[in-house]
Amino acid sequence: MERLRISSQWVKIINDIWGHKSRSMLVVLSIAVGVAVVGMINNARYYIERDLYGAFSQGTPASIQIYVSYFPESLADEVEGLRYVAAAQARRDESVELVAADGKTFDAVLSAAPDYSEMRVNQIEVEEGAPAPSLRGALVERQAAEALGIDIGDVVVVRLQDNKTYELHIQGIVHDLYALPYSISSEVMLYTNLETIQWIGGRAGYNRLDVLLEGNPHDRETALTQGTLIRDRLLEPAGYRAGSILIPGIQANPGEHWAQNQVQGFILILQIMSAMAIFLSGGLVVNTITAILNQQVKQIGIMRSVGAERLQIARMYVFNVLIFSLGGLALALPLGLLGSIGLGEFAASFLNFDLTLHNLAPDVLAIEIVIALAVPMAVALWPILKGTAISVYQAIYQYGQIQDAGMGRVQRLLFRLKFLPPPVMMSLQNTFRNLPRLGFTVITLTMAGATFVAALSTRASLNAMVGDLIRYAAYDVAISLSGGANRLAVQREAFRLEGVEVAEVWTRAGAVLMNPNGSEGEQLALIGLPVDTVTIDVKLLEGRWLVEGDARNLVLNEDLAQLLGDIEIGDTLRLKIGDTTRPFTVVGIASRHLSGPSAYLPYAELAKITGRSYPADEVRIRTSLDGFASQEEQDALAVAVEERFSNAGLSDSAARPRHNRLSFFSGPFQIILVVLVIMAGLLGIVGGLSLTGTMGINVLERTREIGVLRAVGATNPAIRQVVVVEGIFVAIVSWGLVTLISPSTSAALAAAVITAVLRSDVVFSFSFAGLLYWLGIVVIIGAVASLAPARSAVTLTVREVLDYE
Amino acid sequence: MVVGETVNYSSEKHVKTRATSESKSTNGHSALIDFRDVEKIYRTEAGDFPALRGINLQIEGGEFVSVIGKSGSGKTTLVNMLTGIDHPTKGEISIAGVNIHELTESNMARWRGRNLGVVFQFFQLLPTLSVVQNVMIPMDFCNMYVPAERMGIAMNLLEQVGIADHAHKPPSRLSGGQQQRAAIARALANDPPIIATDEPTGNLDSKTANQVFELFQKLVDGGKTILMVTHDEDLAKRAGRTVEIADGEIIRQ
Ligand SMILES: Nc1ncnc2c1ncn2[C@@H]1O[C@H](COP(=O)(O)OP(=O)(O)OP(=O)(O)O)[C@@H](O)[C@H]1O
Ligand SMILES: [Mg+2]
Repeated sequence: MERLRISSQWVKIINDIWGHKSRSMLVVLSIAVGVAVVGMINNARYYIERDLYGAFSQGTPASIQIYVSYFPESLADEVEGLRYVAAAQARRDESVELVAADGKTFDAVLSAAPDYSEMRVNQIEVEEGAPAPSLRGALVERQAAEALGIDIGDVVVVRLQDNKTYELHIQGIVHDLYALPYSISSEVMLYTNLETIQWIGGRAGYNRLDVLLEGNPHDRETALTQGTLIRDRLLEPAGYRAGSILIPGIQANPGEHWAQNQVQGFILILQIMSAMAIFLSGGLVVNTITAILNQQVKQIGIMRSVGAERLQIARMYVFNVLIFSLGGLALALPLGLLGSIGLGEFAASFLNFDLTLHNLAPDVLAIEIVIALAVPMAVALWPILKGTAISVYQAIYQYGQIQDAGMGRVQRLLFRLKFLPPPVMMSLQNTFRNLPRLGFTVITLTMAGATFVAALSTRASLNAMVGDLIRYAAYDVAISLSGGANRLAVQREAFRLEGVEVAEVWTRAGAVLMNPNGSEGEQLALIGLPVDTVTIDVKLLEGRWLVEGDARNLVLNEDLAQLLGDIEIGDTLRLKIGDTTRPFTVVGIASRHLSGPSAYLPYAELAKITGRSYPADEVRIRTSLDGFASQEEQDALAVAVEERFSNAGLSDSAARPRHNRLSFFSGPFQIILVVLVIMAGLLGIVGGLSLTGTMGINVLERTREIGVLRAVGATNPAIRQVVVVEGIFVAIVSWGLVTLISPSTSAALAAAVITAVLRSDVVFSFSFAGLLYWLGIVVIIGAVASLAPARSAVTLTVREVLDYE
Repeated sequence: MVVGETVNYSSEKHVKTRATSESKSTNGHSALIDFRDVEKIYRTEAGDFPALRGINLQIEGGEFVSVIGKSGSGKTTLVNMLTGIDHPTKGEISIAGVNIHELTESNMARWRGRNLGVVFQFFQLLPTLSVVQNVMIPMDFCNMYVPAERMGIAMNLLEQVGIADHAHKPPSRLSGGQQQRAAIARALANDPPIIATDEPTGNLDSKTANQVFELFQKLVDGGKTILMVTHDEDLAKRAGRTVEIADGEIIRQ
C-alpha cells in the first residue's frame, strides 16, 4: 500500500519532468553550467598547485641569486657550509645571440652547471637525449626548441659579443621550470658546460650562485639580509666581487614560483566569476520551480482535496529539484573536468609546465557535489513551501480568476505611453508584468554585461597604461651600446645615418638602496640623460623635473616610488653605487614605466659619479621631432642602426624599434582578456537560458491572451513579434543597468587584473565601445532566447486557449 | 448586383453585404455563410462523441441569426466552426466563397481579423492595453488603415458603443457591460461584415444584456451579419431568425 502511493508520486514527478522536457533541460543545463564553471576553475587550480607549484618546489628553487666574479665550483660548497644556507649551486650565464638558418637572430643565454645529474638548486630535467652536454654541445630548453623548431642532432650557431660565431650540437631537450620560459622572456636557454664556454673563448669559472636559504624563507626582507651576509662574510672576504642580492621572479617572493602572485590573482578573479555563475543558476532554478508550482496550483489543490498533506506535496517537488540537481551534476562533472584540462593545459603551455594527470581532484568533486545538491535545494525550498501552502478552496476557485487585477507602478507608468502601437505596448507591458521574475533574468544578463564591459575596460585601461608607458619610449629606434662606448663616437655614427635628427645618449648605472641600519635593500637602475631630453615625454606625478646642475637630486619613476612605499618629495635616499654610498634628494616622481624601479639624474652628474668620461650605454634615435616614423620605417632604421653600430664596434645588441615596446605588454593580457570574455560569454549563456525560461513561463501564463490575439487577427509573425520584442525589452532593461553599474565594476576588475599581473596601480579607462558592443550582443541574446518561446506561442491554437470557458 | 462576391482574404476588399435576405442558396447563388454537411466528432477517451451532425445552414448577408439549444447541444461548437477556431471533422464551411478551413492557422487569423469580428462571453480584453488600444490592435495585425488614422477610427467605434469616455483606462477599471461594449468595438475594428458571438450577454445582468443586444441590432441595421449564441430565449426571439439545435442537429431554423 505504502509502496504504491510512493510510486504514484514518482509517476507524477517523472511526468512533470518529462512532460516539460525543454524546461527541465533548461534547469539541468543551468545547474550544469554553474557547477561546471566551479569545477573547471578549482580543478585547474588543483592542477596548477600540484604540477606547477609542486614540481617547482620539488626542484629546490633558489631563494636568492648572486652574480659573482668568476669562481670555482668549490665556492658553492663553501657557501653551502654556511649555517643559514640549505644548498648552493654554481652556474655560469653568458649572453649570446642565436643565429637561425635564415639569418634571423634571437637573444639566448648559454648556461653552464658543473653536473647536470646532481644539481643542488633549481634542478632542471633532461627530457630527451644526452643527460649532460659534452664539449661543443648544448641542451636546449623545450619551449624555445618547440617555438624555433630546434631538435636533437641540429647544429645551432651562436654569436658572441665580438661577432665570432660558433656551432653547437644540440644533444638534448631540457625542461627548466626556473628560467622564464621563451613565451615570456623571448630568450633561448642553452645548457652547456664550462669547457664549451672556454672553447668559445669565455673565461673559466662560474659567475652565478643560486642559493636555497635554510628554512626556505618566503619574505624578501629575510632573504635579502641573509644574502647580504653571504656576500659580506664569505664572498668578498674570499676575494670575489659580488653584485647585489637578487630574488628570482616577477616581483615574486623568495622560494615561490616566479609567477605565483599573478597566477593566484587571476584564479581569484575567476573564482569570483564562478560564484556569480552559481548565483545565476540558483536563480534560474527558483524561477522554474516557481513557474511549475504556479502552473500546478490547481493540481496541488486537487491533491490536497484527496488527502495529501502539505509536506507530502512539498516532498514531491523537493524530489523534482533533486533530480534536476543530479542531472546537472552528471553533466557538470565531465564538462568541468574537460574545462579544467583545457585551462590547465593552456596554463601549462604558457608557463612551461606539465599536467601529470588529468584527474578530478577529490576536493573539487566534493565541492561540485555539494554545490549541485545544496544550492538548488536551498533556493527552491522557500517557493516550494510557499506554493504548497495554498488551500484547496483557493486553488480550485480563486486561482487564475483575478489575473489582470493588479497593475504594478511601472505598468501604470508605461500605460501613459499612448503613442505606442498596441503590439509594442503589449510587449513592453509584458516585460514588467512579473517583476521578481524579470528581476532575476535582468540581474543575470546584467552580470554578464558587466563582466563583458569590465573585460573590455580592463583592456582599455591597459591600453591607456601602455600609452602612458610608451611616453618613455619617445624614439624611433634605440640600441644598447657595448661597455666603454664613447658618446661623441656614438653620436657621430648615428648622424651618419640618413634622416637622423636626434641621437640622444644615455648612461646607466646600477645602485642598491641602503637601509637606515646600513644593510642593503632593493636594487634600482640609475639613468643619466640630458635634462632637456626629447626621447622621453615625462609625466610628472609630483615635484619637478631635473635641471642642469642637479648634482644630488633624483627623479624617481613610479615603479620605484611604489617599491619604496611612502616616499615624498624632499626625502633622502642613500644609494650605493659601485662601492660608495651617497645621499640623494628626491625632487620629482615620474609616472610608471614598468621597466623596473629606476631613478633619473642629469647625464653629466651620473658620468661624474661613475667616473667615466662621455659614457654611452644607450642611444635613442629620432628621425623627426614631430611624430614618429611608421612601423616599417622604424624596422628599416633598426636594421641600419644595428649594422652601422656593429661595424663601428659600438654595439652588438639588437636595435629596438618603438613599436616593439607597445606589443611587449599586451601578450599575457590578451590571454587573460580572452578568458574574461569567455567567462562573460558563459554568463551570457546562462542569462540567455534564464531569459528563455522566463519567456517560456510567460507564454504559458499568457496562453489566453495569445488566443485572443489570434482571434482578432494576429498572424504567426505578429505573435512571434510580440514575444520576441518582449525578450528584447528585457535585454535593453538589463543593458540600462549595465550602464549604471559597469563603471564601478569595470574599475574593480581592471584594478584586480592589472595589479595581479603587473603588480602596479591602475590608470582606469572605461570602455564605452564595450558598452555599445554589449548593447548589440544583449539584444541578439534577447531575440534568440525568445525564439523558442515565440515558436511555442505560435503553435497554440485559439481553440486550446479559449477551451476552458 | 453581385451576390456573395468572392473574398480574397489578402486583398484590401471586404465581403460585400446585402441588405436583403429573400434570396436563398437555392436560387443558384451561394449564401454569404454556407455550412454544408458539417460534422464534428470529438475523439475522447470514452469514445467518439459527435457534437455536430450533418449541419446545413445558410446565412445571407445582413441577417441577425440567434442560435439556441440546451446546454451541450453543440452551439459553441457551431460558432467555433464559423470563426475557424475549431475545424470540422467533415463537410465545408464557406464564407463569401472562401472555404475557410483550407486556410493555414496564420492565414486564418488574418482572414478572420478582416472579415469576422468575434465577441466572447468573458470579453477577453487584453489587460495590459488600454481600452482604445484593445480596439486598435486588430487594425495593427491586419495592417488596416494608415497608422495615424487608427486612433481616430477606434475612438469613433468607442463613441458608437458609448464608452468613449473610458478609452484610455485599463479594461479592469470598466464594468462588465462596458467591457463587453469595448469587446464589440474591437470586433468592429476592421469593419468586418460578419460578427460571431457566443453568449455575449451570459455574464451581464438583464438590463445591460438588453443594451448590448440593442447594439447588435443597430449593427445589423447598418448592414452587418450576426450569428449569436444565447441561452436567453427572449433575446433570441428578437433576432431576425432563430436556429435551434439539439444533440448536434438543427431542429428548427
Ligand atoms: N474538446 C471536447 N472534447 C470532447 N467533447 C467535447 C469537447 N468540446 C465539447 N464537447 C462536447 O460536445 C458537446 C457540445 O459542446 P458545446 O460546447 O458545443 O455545447 P454548447 O451547446 O455550447 O453547451 P453550453 O450551452 O453549455 O455552452 C458537449 O456534449 C460537450 O461535452
Ligand atoms: Mg457553449
